Amino acid sequence: MRKSFSPAAFLEGCRDSLPMLIGIIPFGIVCGIGAVAAGASPVASLAMSMIMFSGAAQIVATQLLASGAPFAVILLSCLVVSLRLLMYSAAMAPYLRTLDHRWRSLLAFVLTDQAFAGTLQRFRDSDDVGANASYFLGSGAMLWIGWQFATLGGVLAGAFIPASWHLEFGVPLCFLAVLVPLLRDRVSLIVFAISAVAVVALDAMPLRLSLICAGLLGIAAGVIGDKAMRTHE
Amino acid sequence: MSRELTIWLLVFAVGAITYTARVSFIALFARRSMPALLARALRHVPVAMLTAIVVPAIVFSAPSVLDLSPGNIRLIAALVASAAAWWRQSTMLTIAAGMAALWLLQYLVG
Repeated sequence: MRKSFSPAAFLEGCRDSLPMLIGIIPFGIVCGIGAVAAGASPVASLAMSMIMFSGAAQIVATQLLASGAPFAVILLSCLVVSLRLLMYSAAMAPYLRTLDHRWRSLLAFVLTDQAFAGTLQRFRDSDDVGANASYFLGSGAMLWIGWQFATLGGVLAGAFIPASWHLEFGVPLCFLAVLVPLLRDRVSLIVFAISAVAVVALDAMPLRLSLICAGLLGIAAGVIGDKAMRTHE
Repeated sequence: MSRELTIWLLVFAVGAITYTARVSFIALFARRSMPALLARALRHVPVAMLTAIVVPAIVFSAPSVLDLSPGNIRLIAALVASAAAWWRQSTMLTIAAGMAALWLLQYLVG
């Protein structure tokens, strides 16, 4: 691993991730606020960001915890929201195949939506796997550190800003910022409609299972929608 | 089980889940490619799950009380934020627009 590490590419990765860092800061802050609101101690709130390192999984875990969902349902829901990471893992895998096991295990830990988006193009453009991996690591490390500081900011804000400001409303707003720009094609709109109707209609389900069921129904609608669009053409 | 202990167990259990998802094709099944149906289904995970997370936080004014009227200030604030998100794909702007709308409505209504 040491042989293939390139400090210059690592620093380049750190630098190039700065604009993305600005984008994730609000999300990190709301994760901190959400964790404190769910009754987590400041240390546990930070541990969530250090170990789970996934805004969507952290928010789902804290919201379900706050609403009294059982442990197994929280895990299952986090599993479903983490499925998109499989997609990134599969997309990165061909470029990392020649690296040793330590490199791959480390890079997997810092694989996030942002690190993926920022690094994939470089892997496509260049054959220098060591430099690319170092760049990826720099980008991932920077995002990880920024995520911790943002969470800390949220933990402090959650502890000192009065509840009447409703800072927890930042959580759905953060998700809307990601969701709305994705609704640009017909199938995505169908997925949105099915998930939205299902999560409301299934609200009475026990154990807060409505989240998983609505998500899975939306995914199924998307697969069927894709097929219908293809046969239509 | 105390809340704090539950949270710590969650930290490690969910941490294991997210790491397993990340490492899956990179290391665990590095030699296999993803089944086509799984690949097609995964493309819809972000929209389906984000919707299922966001919608209840907006349309329920209290637990299990569906409120789609203009009197639901969270719904209105979320629509303002969505318009901002559509216009400029900026997290910061979306949050600013939504929170500003919420505070303004809170002031006007309450």
